[in-house]
Amino acid sequence: MNASAWHMLLEGAWTTLWISAVSIAIGVMAGLVIALIRLARIPIVDQLLVLYISVARATPLVTLALFIFLSAPDLGLDLNRSVAGILALSLNTTAFNAEIWRSAFRNFSREQSEAAMATGMTPWITFRRIMLPQMVITSLPGLVNEMSFLIKGSPAIAVIGIVDLTRVTNRISAVTYEPLPPILVAGALYMAIIGCLVWLQRLAERRANRLAT
Amino acid sequence: MSEANTSEMAAVSIRHLSKSFDDVEVLRDVELEVKTGEVVTIIGSSGSGKSTLLRCINWLEKPDRGSIHIAGQRIGIHEDGRPMPVRELAKVRAKTGMVFQGFNLWPHLNVLHNVTEAPIHVQGASKREAEERAMALLEKVGMVDKRDSYPNTLSGGQKQRVAIARALAMQPEVMLFDEPTSALDPELVGEVLAVIKDLSAEGYTMVMVTHEMAFARAVSDQVVFLEKGLIIERADPETFFTTPKTDRVRKFLENHDTPSPA
Repeated sequence: MNASAWHMLLEGAWTTLWISAVSIAIGVMAGLVIALIRLARIPIVDQLLVLYISVARATPLVTLALFIFLSAPDLGLDLNRSVAGILALSLNTTAFNAEIWRSAFRNFSREQSEAAMATGMTPWITFRRIMLPQMVITSLPGLVNEMSFLIKGSPAIAVIGIVDLTRVTNRISAVTYEPLPPILVAGALYMAIIGCLVWLQRLAERRANRLAT
Repeated sequence: MSEANTSEMAAVSIRHLSKSFDDVEVLRDVELEVKTGEVVTIIGSSGSGKSTLLRCINWLEKPDRGSIHIAGQRIGIHEDGRPMPVRELAKVRAKTGMVFQGFNLWPHLNVLHNVTEAPIHVQGASKREAEERAMALLEKVGMVDKRDSYPNTLSGGQKQRVAIARALAMQPEVMLFDEPTSALDPELVGEVLAVIKDLSAEGYTMVMVTHEMAFARAVSDQVVFLEKGLIIERADPETFFTTPKTDRVRKFLENHDTPSPA
């Protein structure tokens, strides 16, 4: 592999990294918001969210990405590839994250929130100061799992023409006729990215021990 | 809590309080008045409604009928029947401090921060002010040297003492104790009771549900006996423990260790 191949690989890695990172950020937040809304059990809204979650969880990423990219013009939306890719990944991961957050809510100790309310905290302060910090720690294993699924599933967005870390290996081997080296490097880069996430997960686990009273 | 006029105004005033869970009436037209500086103990067998009564006082349990005033202020519902918005309810609730059977400390915060959390985020106290107040309270409950420890490293008695400091930190008008020693190993009961006894000596207003008869006799100004949601007897501790009026209470006291005269 020559310098330009390396350059292309790193560019592909960067594309995968930033599109995934943005989607993860959106997905984690939106998942939390959906879980919060679902707590309120608002009729119709709740059913719609359930519908969204089951559809999003059941749809392959490739299908979702294609659908968004191809239907956007019909809806009068001018989406560039990256935005469409991020939208597809976010819609997918949000659905899974919403379920992770929801179970964190459901398992949260009622006694602890009562103790918070008893000191005069409003439900919002209770959520922000007492529940959320602990829910983040207990949900992190699940969230990180979902993050690594998203990164590993992200090559799907190549279908709408985004040159990500996997797609770029095709382009390189089309020139060099040596498919193996770029694929191996790409594999190593994926492992490095996921490795960072796993490290984060360990950090959280150490903190989680404290919560086990 | 030492203004002269509060002595006329009850710290807690409960009128016609009723509450059912499904079809079971757990509280039936309960009336209770707790004067400022008074220690009231609620006694009764399990399922008599004692804890529910206590939890109604700070609206953790919503009564079906009746009214509760904390230091003259209605909790939960406005006088005209409108439900109280959550922020307002939280404000009235802050006039009470509660100590739970299961301690319910927040495990992600160390001892000091368990005590400063509400003053900072509810009262808007500065960090410094809240920490000074917290240290004084931790001193009072003998937990200063554990201020940096996390709850999971503490014994039950230590947890409960921190929980008492946490409740006191909001400078409540009344402290509510829900069986504060029931979850403790026998050898740890004493250290918690000693702290509560100190508080009563300092003039804190307290309502307590407990099974510790000797303790109830020693610290109470008023003992209330609850049976199937009804207050069937109320008296000063001497009268209550030596000459109970009803057979039910006599029987109850026989089954518990009847305390020797204090």
